[in-house]
Amino acid sequence: MNKLVKLFITSISAITLALVSFSSSFAKVEGDYIVLGSAISLTGKYSSNGVHTQNGYNMAVDRINKMGGVEVQGKKYKFEIIYYDDESNPKRAAQLAERLIKQDGVHYMLGPYSSGLTKAIAPVTEKYKIPMVEANGASRSLFTKGYKYLFAVLSPANQYLEVAIDLAVEKNGGKGVRIAQAFEQDAFSQDVRLGILDAAKRTGSEIIIDDKLPKELNDMAATLAKVKATKPDVLVVSGHTKGALTAIRQISEMKVDVPMLAMTHCDAAKLSKQHGKKSEYALCASQWHKNLSYKDKFFGSGKKYDKDFKKEFGYAPPYQSAESSAALLVFKDAFERANSFDRDAVRDALKTTEMQTFYGNIKFGPGGQNTAKPMILFQVRCKGDDCENKVVAPTKWASDKFYHPIPKWSERS
Amino acid sequence: MGNIKQKDLILYSGLIILGLAAPYLFSAFKVQLTYLCVLIVLAMTWNLQGGEMGYNTFGNILFYGLGMYLTASVQVGMFFPLAEWTESGGEKTFVHTTAQYFQGIGVGLLVAAIVPAIVAGAIGYAILGLRGHYFAICTLGLGIAAGEIAGGIEIIGAGQGFTTPPFPAEIVDNEARGKFFYFLSFALLIGTFVFVKYIYGSRFRLILNAIRDNEDKAEAMGIQTMKYKITGWMCSAFFCGLAGGIMGGLIGYIDSTDVAFDGREMGVFMVLMAILGGKGTLWGPVIGATLFHFFKEGLWTFILGWQYVALGVLIVVIVVYFPEGLMGWLREKYPERFGEVIDEKDRKAQVELK
Repeated sequence: MNKLVKLFITSISAITLALVSFSSSFAKVEGDYIVLGSAISLTGKYSSNGVHTQNGYNMAVDRINKMGGVEVQGKKYKFEIIYYDDESNPKRAAQLAERLIKQDGVHYMLGPYSSGLTKAIAPVTEKYKIPMVEANGASRSLFTKGYKYLFAVLSPANQYLEVAIDLAVEKNGGKGVRIAQAFEQDAFSQDVRLGILDAAKRTGSEIIIDDKLPKELNDMAATLAKVKATKPDVLVVSGHTKGALTAIRQISEMKVDVPMLAMTHCDAAKLSKQHGKKSEYALCASQWHKNLSYKDKFFGSGKKYDKDFKKEFGYAPPYQSAESSAALLVFKDAFERANSFDRDAVRDALKTTEMQTFYGNIKFGPGGQNTAKPMILFQVRCKGDDCENKVVAPTKWASDKFYHPIPKWSERS
Repeated sequence: MGNIKQKDLILYSGLIILGLAAPYLFSAFKVQLTYLCVLIVLAMTWNLQGGEMGYNTFGNILFYGLGMYLTASVQVGMFFPLAEWTESGGEKTFVHTTAQYFQGIGVGLLVAAIVPAIVAGAIGYAILGLRGHYFAICTLGLGIAAGEIAGGIEIIGAGQGFTTPPFPAEIVDNEARGKFFYFLSFALLIGTFVFVKYIYGSRFRLILNAIRDNEDKAEAMGIQTMKYKITGWMCSAFFCGLAGGIMGGLIGYIDSTDVAFDGREMGVFMVLMAILGGKGTLWGPVIGATLFHFFKEGLWTFILGWQYVALGVLIVVIVVYFPEGLMGWLREKYPERFGEVIDEKDRKAQVELK
């Protein structure tokens, strides 16, 4: 037992020591480093997307630092990021944001993954007047709260799948279609749903199934059974990575025939790799695709980014990584234009951002959302067993024609 | 309460002074300190059921979440149309004035205390007849069901979540918000402690213990166990609701399953903290919650991605080495300190007999 007491005392002192060392706070700019803070989901339901986000940030930090860093008042600085794991939990994220700002002395933040977590962090950064460039919070309600220090490089969530409905209506000869939809119960997916509702109203389409899916979703058989019975023209599913994987798995298992399947997060879920031919013809909303023709001097083109990212992390970059890298480019640009580390000067510089990155054009609207970049749609297409995402809309970048309707399972090999 | 010993008096006044000075001494840690107060309150109230009454409830998270939603809803609803506030992508932005904010949160907390207590009474009437595992499983369902239901109610934001009113902008001091919530939670902590201590000196506790030790016998003795079980649960719900209300305001964003009805984290933590410290004791939950919070805040960031594994190890260590919690372990080691007189000879004789 004595040993145990010793062990106990040691661990207590270790904790105390750790706490003490925490209170020695970093400065916003330490020596040659500009310190950014970010809470990222490394565990929990968003862990895979959290890692995509972190990889995107890290890739950009390395690249910018290697290429000379950030020049402010004639001096070169490098980026450094302090990460915490928010466990995919908004409560934790808000607490960590507070910690980054108050205890680690961070003056500039990068966003977390997902709208819900961004919603939890934004009030904190706003309170302390900390500029935050975020790349993964697309919920429309983020941009209507009048936040002044929040900047998002991505298009708002309600735009994700509106285009898909327009496409379906177009294929239906301009007449409204019958839509079945299932969305996860979270801020992002519910916003995608609002977009669909708007599109349905606009096009005179009818929503015949409107299901909610639980978080941590692993099963949507009930919805699919209804789809089988009612035969809608379009099936829309959104529920982050797990939603996409579950949908394809069960649609193929249950052999659900639907002329059009629109989803989000196909590339983050690596659908074409994980499910191969089963995922063929799925239509996916994406913020970015490597074939787009945008360019910048750090990453070159989308294709080059794709190649470099693969080399570094061993998988093709989903758009979550690309937009996260872009967030760093925006910060660098803003620091250099502000030519100062004053938070308000940096914020003002961010506000007037107007630039092109490999990821797309970036210009912030009054609410902080990126207004200069359209959403794109791609479709999973296979040659033999080799499946790939092909851009089908908008037409400017379309590499393939949109394949419609999806053949019945009985006709698919 | 009248006969507090002098030694205790020094201890209590010392702790209160420390509590009052803490936000100034550790200014950067205000949010964590607020969490600590709330965690202690949750552990202490859980202990009333799990420790004193022997009813392992996972349902207290229901009252916590309910309190959170109620406070925020009342705070908004008193001055603005709630539906428009929570409407996703609502184009309008409402701003609370300073007076509105504090009036709102005051009334909100009041509601957040009373309604969960009533709900506890109603649910308790229905399910407190269950015993042992059956009660535990049933309450586990309560929290999960509440989360799913709240996630479907549009007026409180449904799956979109509910952004609670921001702290009034007219108060320029950056620290004001942190201090406000800290002192609020500290006051709640003191209130809860005084109440629980009062219960510890009362017949009520003896009845709860009787229920834990042998409910049938207690009933045979003429105790209306149902009445006391329900009352106990209502008391817990009262304080859990308040804790939830404060946390909602502090976090600033309520999500149905991850923040409010967070059975997976808060719901489990409150059980863990009480057991870690020693259930069925006054100080056990306080010590357990404090240690747990330190462990969590201090170590988790060093083991990014492995924190839940570490938590699992911690649980195993607690169960294997401290099955009675720290207080139980201390009591076994230093029984004199707890006022127990032990006849060494007799004890040895008993050991040898075995």
